[in-house]
Amino acid sequence: MIGGLELLIGLPLLGAVAVLLLARREQLAAWVGVVVGTVTLAGAVVPWYSTIRDDGRFVARSDAGWIAALDVRWSLGLDALSAPLVVLTALLSWCCLVSLVRRAPVCGFRPGLVSLVLVIEAASIGTFAALDLIVFFVFFELVLIPMWFVIADWGDEEDPIGRRRAATRFLVVTVIGSALMLIGFVLLHVKTGTFDVIALRSLAPRIDHSTQVVIAAFFLFGFGAKVPMWPLHFWLPDAHSKAPTVGSVLLAGVLLKLGTYGLLRFWFELVPSGATTVAPYLGALGVVGIVYGALACLAQTDLKRLIAYSSVGHMGFVLLAVSTLTTQGRAAANFANVAHGVITGLLFFVVGAVKDRVGSTDLERIGAALYARAPRLAVIFAFGAVASLGLPGLAGFWGEMLAMLAAYSPADELSRPTYLTFMAVAGLGAVLTTAYFVVVIRRVCQGASEHDAVPDVEGDEWVAWSPLVAAVLVLGIFPVVMLWSASSSASAGGR
Amino acid sequence: MPLLFPLVVSSVLFGIGVYIVLARRHAVLVLMGVELMLNAVNLNLVAFDAWWHDTLDAGQVLALFVIAIAAAEIGLGLAIVLLVFRTHQHVDIDRLRELADRDETGAVEADDDRSVVS
Amino acid sequence: MTVVGLVALLLAAVAAVVVGHRDDRVPPLLGVAGSGVAWLCSVVVGALHWGANAAPTVTGSGRIETGGLPITVALRVDQLSASMVVLATTVALLVQVYSVAYLRGDPRYPSYTAIVSLFTAAMVLVVSADDLFVLLVGWEVMGVCSYILISHHWELEPARAGAVKAFLMTRLGDIGLLFGFFVIGGAAGTYRISGIVEAAAAGRISGHQATIGSLLMRCGVVGKSAQFPLHSWLPDAMPGPTPISALIHAATMVAAGVFLVARLLPVFALSDVAMTTLAVIACVTMLGSALFALAADDLKRVLAWSTVSQLSYMFAALTLGGYGAGVLHLLSHGAFKALLFLAAGSVIHAVGTQRLDGMGGLRASMPVTFVTMTVGYAALAGVPPFVGFFSKDEILGVASDQAFHGAHGRGWLVLVVGLVVAGLTAAYSTRAWLMTFFGPRRGDRTGVPPPEPGWLMLGPLVALSAASTLGGVVVVWPSFLGVEREGWHLGLVLVSLAVVALGAALAVAEWTRLGHMDPAASLGRLRPVLAREASYDALVDWTVVRPGRWLAGLTRLNEIEVVDRYAAAGDIGSQWGSRLVRWAHNGNAQRYLTAVVIGAVGVAVLVGVIGTGGPS
Repeated sequence: MIGGLELLIGLPLLGAVAVLLLARREQLAAWVGVVVGTVTLAGAVVPWYSTIRDDGRFVARSDAGWIAALDVRWSLGLDALSAPLVVLTALLSWCCLVSLVRRAPVCGFRPGLVSLVLVIEAASIGTFAALDLIVFFVFFELVLIPMWFVIADWGDEEDPIGRRRAATRFLVVTVIGSALMLIGFVLLHVKTGTFDVIALRSLAPRIDHSTQVVIAAFFLFGFGAKVPMWPLHFWLPDAHSKAPTVGSVLLAGVLLKLGTYGLLRFWFELVPSGATTVAPYLGALGVVGIVYGALACLAQTDLKRLIAYSSVGHMGFVLLAVSTLTTQGRAAANFANVAHGVITGLLFFVVGAVKDRVGSTDLERIGAALYARAPRLAVIFAFGAVASLGLPGLAGFWGEMLAMLAAYSPADELSRPTYLTFMAVAGLGAVLTTAYFVVVIRRVCQGASEHDAVPDVEGDEWVAWSPLVAAVLVLGIFPVVMLWSASSSASAGGR
Repeated sequence: MPLLFPLVVSSVLFGIGVYIVLARRHAVLVLMGVELMLNAVNLNLVAFDAWWHDTLDAGQVLALFVIAIAAAEIGLGLAIVLLVFRTHQHVDIDRLRELADRDETGAVEADDDRSVVS
Repeated sequence: MTVVGLVALLLAAVAAVVVGHRDDRVPPLLGVAGSGVAWLCSVVVGALHWGANAAPTVTGSGRIETGGLPITVALRVDQLSASMVVLATTVALLVQVYSVAYLRGDPRYPSYTAIVSLFTAAMVLVVSADDLFVLLVGWEVMGVCSYILISHHWELEPARAGAVKAFLMTRLGDIGLLFGFFVIGGAAGTYRISGIVEAAAAGRISGHQATIGSLLMRCGVVGKSAQFPLHSWLPDAMPGPTPISALIHAATMVAAGVFLVARLLPVFALSDVAMTTLAVIACVTMLGSALFALAADDLKRVLAWSTVSQLSYMFAALTLGGYGAGVLHLLSHGAFKALLFLAAGSVIHAVGTQRLDGMGGLRASMPVTFVTMTVGYAALAGVPPFVGFFSKDEILGVASDQAFHGAHGRGWLVLVVGLVVAGLTAAYSTRAWLMTFFGPRRGDRTGVPPPEPGWLMLGPLVALSAASTLGGVVVVWPSFLGVEREGWHLGLVLVSLAVVALGAALAVAEWTRLGHMDPAASLGRLRPVLAREASYDALVDWTVVRPGRWLAGLTRLNEIEVVDRYAAAGDIGSQWGSRLVRWAHNGNAQRYLTAVVIGAVGVAVLVGVIGTGGPS
């Protein structure tokens, strides 16, 4: 039986093959990519719509035997936690595909990049939809390989050695992380005899406390490497600064979410008593990440690395929210995930556009007064920056505010004073976030104009960016679209 | 006959075989060392078979298998040695290093550009 | 009606950005039209809600589930909100009209007018919100609009620096405000402001929670209203266009802090600690900023410091429970300070500088500006019959009541400091007034007297000076706010008038003695200290900015020299490992076998040892 989710995963994969078959005719191949992306996006919205008022049940389920000897079943489904992320993946991929229509990558062979984007999209959707630990793992790994190629072969054209090193570093760290995660999965199987997430929801919490702590710790470091949690973040700035624009967008917008999604789905729901023991450490690493990321941004001289470090900070908020182990924290983490995806995606697009025009992302070389040299570009950058620093009324605020609110009243088993401290530190981090963004706006957008004017935002860029701008506004003004089911769905799944 | 005698003999034979394989340079002698080890195992098999009074005589059967395989092996091995002699004009194992992990320049270490450190 | 006004403002903002670049005439029209519609709505709102017994209107009830207490998207308009809405939209409309002339030909007009509209909408949202987080949305949107408008001339360094400073300082306070909302909302069991006020009145919020919540919220209030220790952003925000200073830094945004305290006064009142802290902060700020205003040599800076000082007056009144007095002074200050800033804009527009030593002798050539600004200064100094006199008297009346009859020691503090500051206010107002309009024209090379601006700019001045003159009537009968006036304190009125007269007389005397020179010169050694604003910026620089930068540099160094090195060490380590393995693969088959045999023997020995439970 082929269900809707198989189509959603299979379509981009077929599209990837088709694009490669059409590789001789580059333009056509790019258009095929856009068409496939559009259909996938439309398909992704349907299950999301049906989970929006969901009660924690999974929709679009498909369940079939796969590898009976290993107890592995082909089990897919979406709920209010994963469906928004699938939409986010499809949306960002669509934007990436559109941006590739008129702009050939400098390193050549556009159909290759288009098909890799499609493969990443398919694998990410598969990861979010998987309801079997091994299926999850397979898709989780499947995302990495195309991303390695994207960074290593289409990355920074001036530094072929550096981009290869960055790609490999990314691959090695995340593979080590997923190995730890796999050990956790195997432990779960040893204790319960199943890989099925739905069955595990009732079985896994009965595992004895010490084993749960071990599993929770494995998940912490396994997913933490992917998130990336401080101090495992060191691969991120390199990978972002060397990746091509579409690579950065997908990396920040989709791949980082795999880690936080994994924590929410497996850590939060499957090993609650172990998570309770480990949670304060996660919260502490999260808030250290917030402040550390902000401080690193303050002294940063490269715009792409700056956005990358800002991701470390924002993911710190998500980790803080996850670590509170409350429904509110879960809602906050999910919201902040999606908000960070659209905002940082937009920022990376803009920075990529700046790089196309100026030839560098170094603050010195970009020069000042972008407001005068390319007003629309500069305004969109400032918009993204303001959204990213958490202005109420834009997407970034609700996730971070709810994360701090969740830290204000964490789960009963957790120490409240600890979390109040975390909340205060996170607040300080939010101020520092504001500081580095206004400093960057002052340095790049404002100032006396000494450099030449650069081309402003062009037609295809408007098309690729406007959904993200719209998403930032919609999520900010109508947070209900993500928070509708905050209380109901989590009451079935979380605690 | 106590089990100990054939076992001691087979151990000695095996040790000699290992020594020859590890220490001698001549390829034909190395093959002979392999034969010695195989036959030490055969002796073991037969001895245990007799000691267990195995109704299926599995040990003896297995020994026959080993003899057959050893014959095939020595045939193949000698053919390889012959070919090596034809191409290299010698059969000195120490000097047969074509399988070493090295690049064209002869240095054993090298970087290919996809290695971890570039 | 409030919603209609909000929508009109937002539509005007969007339209100005979208179509504004096509034609120069469109954006001013859109801005004025949007604000005009909002103003009309606000007048209706005011008419509906003023009066002692007017019932509040609640609009909207959308719930945002957060997994905990829900956020309610609702607006609630009562007397206080209605007054604030009218004040905000009136000043906004006048500023939009004024800007048409003031910023004529500015290429950034579309974005300017859009942001002003957005700002007005945000202010209306703040004053009419019935949920703490809805209020926070408006509060922070105002902050970012202010940031953008201060850096309107972003090619100038002071504008950029001032904008950054303003945004960071207010945002620092806002984090405290956010946490304060958590505490108060958690304590009251709801984030609805009406619910919180009820809970506070019903005693469901404990004193402990109220103290923590109020102290945290105070951070936000102090940041937004530029009180000590976050006071220094407001004077530095003056490089923004002058109409903006009138709108944001006099009548609306900085007033939001006062509004919030007034709105949540029942919560603040539960905590004596919070009230006393706020009173002390208000008195320190009041006195310090009045002194700074006395020595500042930039006209707008004088006005900015006087704004800070007047806001402290309102806080001082509120801390004594003088809800009516505080709110009335807020409204009257909104009118006369907007007037002063707009008049100052007219002067600056004509003279081309903001520095007091570039002005002088302007009363002849700019009569309308002179008269209106005189009204503004008189109201600021508290000269009867202008509106400032009544509202200031109200505050001093509350203070003397508390001092003589109340239980709190802070009554005396406010009364004494308030009287001293009244004198100082009169002195610096007189000084600025004299230096702008009297004496010889300084720093002028052309010899042509600056002309009066057009009526687009003068119209708002006249309207506001009418409000400042006649506003006293409203203050004397403040029942529209739903509060009762306590009556006159005749002795106090005489004392405060004497103090005001003394302050003004001193300034005039020094001015005459020095031969029409800056009276601040007679401050002697104190003057440079006050002109540097007590080196507070340097203090902040040394204690916050530099350590922050140093930490950031340290973090970056750590990233490059430590974290990256660890990663690189991983690279190198695996490379060495691979070299080791390659070295073993030297092609010598016998060596491979040797390793295999050693390994096999080793395993056998291990199995023997472990499998039999040890060698013994």
